[in-house]
Amino acid sequence: MATPKGAIGNGPVVRVAIGGDHDAGPELLRAARDATEDVRVVAVGPTGADSLAPLVLATQNGTTAFVPQCTVANVTTIVETLENGSLPDTAATVEHDPGATSMPTPPAAIDTTAVLGVGSRRVLGGCGWRAPASVADYRVSRDDELLAERAIDDPDAVHERVADAALRGRGRGDGSTDAPISGVWTTATETDGKPVVVVNANEADDHARADRLLLESAPLAVLDAALATAHAVDATDVLVYTNDAEALARERAQEAADALAADRDPDIPIQVVAGPDAYTAGEMTMALEAMEGNDRLEARRRPPGPDQYGLYGRPTVIHTPRTFAQVGQALADNDLGGVPGDPGTRLFTVAGDVDAPATIELPTDATLADVRGAVALDGGLKTACVGGRFGGLTRDLDVPASAAGLRGARLGTNGVIELFDESTCTVALAGQRAKLAREENCGRCVPCREGSKQLVELLRDVYDGEYQDGMLRELARTMRETSTCEFGQEASRPVTTAMESFEPEFRAHADGRCPSGSCDHVSS
Amino acid sequence: MSTDQSSTPRVPDVENPQPTMPLTEDIRPGTANDPPVETVEPDRTATLTVDGESVTVSAESTLLDATEETDTDDYVPALCSYDEHDEIGPRSECRTCMVETEEHGVVPSCSFPAQDGMTVRTDTTEASEARDVNLDLLLSNHNLRCTTCGKNGRCELQDVSIENDVVEPRYGVFDDRDAYEPLDDSSPFIQIDRNKCILCNRCVEACNDVQVEGVLRIEGSGEDTRIGFQNDAETMMDSTCVSCGHCATVCPTGALVEQGLTDAATIPLPGFTQENSIGKTVEAENDRFQPGPATPMKGDQKSESAAEPTAESPPTEDD
Ligand code: SF4
Ligand code: SF4
Ligand code: SF4
Ligand code: FES
Repeated sequence: MATPKGAIGNGPVVRVAIGGDHDAGPELLRAARDATEDVRVVAVGPTGADSLAPLVLATQNGTTAFVPQCTVANVTTIVETLENGSLPDTAATVEHDPGATSMPTPPAAIDTTAVLGVGSRRVLGGCGWRAPASVADYRVSRDDELLAERAIDDPDAVHERVADAALRGRGRGDGSTDAPISGVWTTATETDGKPVVVVNANEADDHARADRLLLESAPLAVLDAALATAHAVDATDVLVYTNDAEALARERAQEAADALAADRDPDIPIQVVAGPDAYTAGEMTMALEAMEGNDRLEARRRPPGPDQYGLYGRPTVIHTPRTFAQVGQALADNDLGGVPGDPGTRLFTVAGDVDAPATIELPTDATLADVRGAVALDGGLKTACVGGRFGGLTRDLDVPASAAGLRGARLGTNGVIELFDESTCTVALAGQRAKLAREENCGRCVPCREGSKQLVELLRDVYDGEYQDGMLRELARTMRETSTCEFGQEASRPVTTAMESFEPEFRAHADGRCPSGSCDHVSS
Repeated sequence: MSTDQSSTPRVPDVENPQPTMPLTEDIRPGTANDPPVETVEPDRTATLTVDGESVTVSAESTLLDATEETDTDDYVPALCSYDEHDEIGPRSECRTCMVETEEHGVVPSCSFPAQDGMTVRTDTTEASEARDVNLDLLLSNHNLRCTTCGKNGRCELQDVSIENDVVEPRYGVFDDRDAYEPLDDSSPFIQIDRNKCILCNRCVEACNDVQVEGVLRIEGSGEDTRIGFQNDAETMMDSTCVSCGHCATVCPTGALVEQGLTDAATIPLPGFTQENSIGKTVEAENDRFQPGPATPMKGDQKSESAAEPTAESPPTEDD
């Protein structure tokens, strides 16, 4: 299979971003290709900034013009202008090295494209810039050497580098979320049986979209790192696991896998498989259950974890695409930056009461407050829910973007920051999350299945005039400490953090009043 | 009710080193492929400290085994654990057996492997709170009508509740006639009262792993999780049950009771029985002639699979 056309190199090129939540991309691509035979028109992946989509970039001689919210008419003009040897006249034009392998970001001051200048763009560098499945583009960005090639020659060096860097796993569904990943690599290598490497991209929370972004936009960076990992732990298979609904991510991952196999000897096969679009399907052991073809998803008992007993009982290294992207950075000998305890960067998707969600990248020594520049929030910020569906509620974004910083502030680390304005009632918000836990849990263990029911009941009691904070805390503690998997362990976090930061609101509800005026069921 | 996730893939080209007996290949119990318990090297023993006392246990032991070897400071219920048959459990779902370890914090003792050098305490506030709350959570979803229950006096849930001094469960008990699941009284051999089920999975494992009959399964998720049948039947009579009774034998509660015993241990209150205790009962649709212990469905399944009837297969109405 031929490797797709690359976007990097000399000569004028038009990049059309396809993917994310907008479906106008393919139409623009067709229009652009119809309008020219001379100018290279390349489909790239999304940038993560939804407010810019559909985004088209025109590049010539080391200058790139950004055209956000591009229309068919615009794209035709862009192509024609480029054919005539000049660049379209747009608000954001950036000069860069003609061979740049990462997207040159417009300075933060330039109007709508400012979101691209928030934080850093290291693992996101290829997103929207390189052709997703072009090995040629990817090779250029790696000085022509695939990480997997180097790993074949010296697998131990891969493991050593990752261990020395003390890289931590990122996101939900990772075999070592917030913990150093080299531990599970060692265990998997030392356990009897042939190891498997799983790229777990199944995430049904639409706000936690960084993994999908990486697979749609820079799948080679993920797969190359996964292959290098496979060599390091002597695995025989690499599996990419996505949601059933995420057709584009799967298609791009498959194209990238095929392109990699065509480029080099496919000694370790990469298979792309889909699992259910259920929130639980992203939990690491339920991911394995889904891949084994179990008829009902249920979390596995642990210990031992997947590193010892994973897919079909084989030792399994399971990480999210976000983690593999960091592994790639470490192996490319980049200075990872960030704090030493949690080096590298973290991806955050900013969502909630905002004009359009944006996925941005922050070094772990930055603070979450930086994300405010990435989105436009209507009204003042009242509450942020940090860490996904079962994240922590806070008013204060002055929190380090590292695992330790987020945990210390009792927030979640699943890379989502939902911003809510003054009209949001935190009691109701916590209640919605508790209800979600009650509805979506796998049904296996008592603290989660029955605990989430009682959590909802105790919150109902608040509306009926009784705020039993001791009971709520005791229940939350038991769910957190005794549930089998992260679902139950985290399910009560929105409630406990809301009780900590917004306690007067709970008391007000018990007195029959909703301070934000959004709950009309408060009995008086 | 069944929430089969039909899009679930089975990874096509990955080697599965786990042995599958041809007989069990088609069994779909709806439960996870759990890891085995033992992680210690075989033929080794582990010495650990439980409540200050040193105990030595064999390699495949759990912390529960270790606590049972000692006179613990606190009562550790371990409700869902079953140690009479290797094929059954540990399911480790009730979480009433939590103990505190120096190394790993609060853990479920019934399934946590006993590792050499561990320090375990049964009497810390965290561990006993966790045990108490989880036991009360179980009771919150239980139709606690012991006086009309066939397991009264030989019920493990009742035993641990008494032993744990439960006087009034903090979340109350399940007592909402509208939300009760009807009693399945369709089979002449086994009665199912799902309002008493604690989802310990014992019956499923007894049926699938010991009897290899593949009748029972766990289905649904969240609050809809329940015991169901692999042939998607709604009632026991329409399942492929052979009435071996193993499920009822292992059931720790009054959820599965042999028909002959449903009223055996009830306290005689005039007009108040297990059968009318929740109001709704499902009987067999028509009183089909059932000469043997296998349901008509089992008979259909046998004739469909075209195997010639064997000497021990019971006659069915189709024959
Ligand atoms: S914590 Fe919840 S989702 Fe996880 S195993 Fe227990 S019941 Fe299932
Ligand atoms: S199963 Fe029966 S005997 Fe056991 S606690 Fe429940 S009602 Fe009582
Ligand atoms: S019916 Fe009995 S054995 Fe089966 S899961 Fe329920 S309580 Fe356990
Ligand atoms: S006995 Fe340990 S979880 Fe039920």
